[in-house]
Amino acid sequence: MPPVFGVLFDGIAYGMLLFLMSVGLSVTLGMMNFVNLAHCSFAMLGGYVTVTLMNALGWPFFATLPVAFIAGAVASIVLERLFFRRFYNSNELNQCLLTIGIVFVSIAAAAYIYGTDQQPMQLPPYLQGSIHFRGLDLAVYRLFLIAAAALITIVLVVTLEWTRFGAQVRAAVNNQRMARGLGIDVDTLFGFTFALGGGLAGLGGALAIAMLGLDPSFALTYLIYVLIVVSVGGLGSIAGSFAAAMLLGVADMAGEYYIPALSSVLIYLVMLVMIMWRPSGLFGRR
Amino acid sequence: MAEMLLSFRDVRAGYGAGIVLDAITFDLPENGSLALLGRNGVGKSTLILTIMGMTQIGRGRIVWRGRDITTDAPHRRARAGIGWVAQEREIFSALTVEENLTVAARPGRWDLKSVYDLFPRLAERRRNFGNQLSGGEQQMLAIARALMTNPALLLLDEPLEGLAPIVVEELAAAIRRMTGEGANAFILVEQHADIALSLTQSALVIERGRIVHSGASAALLADHAALDRLVGLRLAEA
Repeated sequence: MPPVFGVLFDGIAYGMLLFLMSVGLSVTLGMMNFVNLAHCSFAMLGGYVTVTLMNALGWPFFATLPVAFIAGAVASIVLERLFFRRFYNSNELNQCLLTIGIVFVSIAAAAYIYGTDQQPMQLPPYLQGSIHFRGLDLAVYRLFLIAAAALITIVLVVTLEWTRFGAQVRAAVNNQRMARGLGIDVDTLFGFTFALGGGLAGLGGALAIAMLGLDPSFALTYLIYVLIVVSVGGLGSIAGSFAAAMLLGVADMAGEYYIPALSSVLIYLVMLVMIMWRPSGLFGRR
Repeated sequence: MAEMLLSFRDVRAGYGAGIVLDAITFDLPENGSLALLGRNGVGKSTLILTIMGMTQIGRGRIVWRGRDITTDAPHRRARAGIGWVAQEREIFSALTVEENLTVAARPGRWDLKSVYDLFPRLAERRRNFGNQLSGGEQQMLAIARALMTNPALLLLDEPLEGLAPIVVEELAAAIRRMTGEGANAFILVEQHADIALSLTQSALVIERGRIVHSGASAALLADHAALDRLVGLRLAEA
C-alpha cells in the first residue's frame, strides 16, 4: 500500500484521540478563561480506570469506557468545586501554578499506586489485527478509534449546535456578562461543561492506551499536544479543535515516517507556522 | 402605598473601590415608566448595571416587588423579571439571530412570532449570525432578545445611540408601540431627552452620580429652562 495512505490513516486515528482529549479544555478555556493544565490528568485517570477494571477485575474493555468517562467527569467537577472556582478571577500565572501542581500530584499518585512502568493492556480479540481493503492494511483498533471519535464528535456538535444547552454554552463563551444578564446561570452551565470536558478526556485517555501506552508521565507528555491543539484551533471552537487535532495527528505521524530526524520538532514547527498565520487560532474568534 | 415594582433606597454603587453613584432613591410602580437623563458620564449606565447586579453596592437597599435583591446575582434578577438591553447591544456574534432570541427566552406574551411582528427585519435575517447585522438591526435584536425573556421591567440603555436618523425614527416608533401597551414597566436611558420624555411618565436627572431632579416627564418636557439647565437640551420655543 502506498505509505501516504497509511500515514494519513494513522494520523487521523491519532488526531481523533487528541481531539477527544483536548475539546473539553478548549471549551472551558474559551468560556471561563480558566487555564486548566491538569486537563490531561483527567485523561490519565480514565486510562488507569480502564486498565484497573480490565486487569484486576476482569471487566470487558467496552464496559470500562463509560466508567472512564464518569471518572474523568467526577474528578473534574470535584476539583472545580474545591479549587478551580476560587481562581476564576485570579491571573493566569496563579491558575497555571495551581493546575500544574495538580499535574505533579496526579503523576506522583499514579507512580505510587501503579509504578512507573507502562501498563499492559490486552484488547479484545475482535479489535486486534488488521483488515485488508483494496491493498490497504488497516488496523482494526484504529478503524474503531476513528469511528468512535467521529460518533462522539457528531453527538457533541449536535448538542452544542442544535440544543438550547449548546446555544447557552456558546452564548456564555461569547459574552459571559450578557449571558448572566439574560438569566443564564453561567456557573451551573460551566459546571456541566467542565464535567463533560473532563469526561471526554477520561474517555480519550481510556481509548488512547492501546495506541499511545500509559504511564504516569502521560499527564505531562500529552498536555503539550493538547495545548497545541487548543491554541492552533482557537479557544472555544469545536471545529477549530477538530481541524487542529487532525492537522497535528497527521503532521506528527508524517514526521515520524518521512523525516524521523526532525520528528520531535516538526509539530512545534507546524504550531509556529499556524500561530503566525492565524494568531487567534484556525477558527478563533478573538 | 401600593407595592412598588422596583425601589432604590439610598444606594451607593460603583466599581471596586470607586464610587460612581451615591444616595440614589427612587420608586418605580408596576407598569410605570422612567426616563433616566443626564449628560455623558454621570452614572446613567452604572445605574442600569446596578439594577442588573453588575456593580459593587456600598450602601443602601434595592427592593424588587417587596423582596430585597441587593445581593442577588445578575441571572437571578433577570429570572425575577428584569430584561436588559445593554448600551453596547452585546449581541452574541456566535449565535444566529433566532438563537439570540431563544437562548434565554422564557414563556409569556412575547414569543418569536410577536417579536418578528414588531421587527419584521429580524425575521428576514433569522439565519444570519449576530456579527452580520447592521447597527440598527443589532439594536432591534438586543431589544427583541430582552423582550423574549418576558420581563416585568425592561431596561433600555441608550437604544438610539449611534444610529442613522431614519433608523432612530423606526426604532422610536417600535419602542412607542411596544411600551404604549403598558404591559411592562421600563426605564429608558437616552441622550435624545425629548424622545425619552415623550415616551415616559416620570423622569430622573442624574448629575455627578446623584439625583438632581425627579418629577413628571411631561412637566419637565414643558419646562425648557429646566431642561437646558439639567441636560443641556435647548428645544425650540413652540
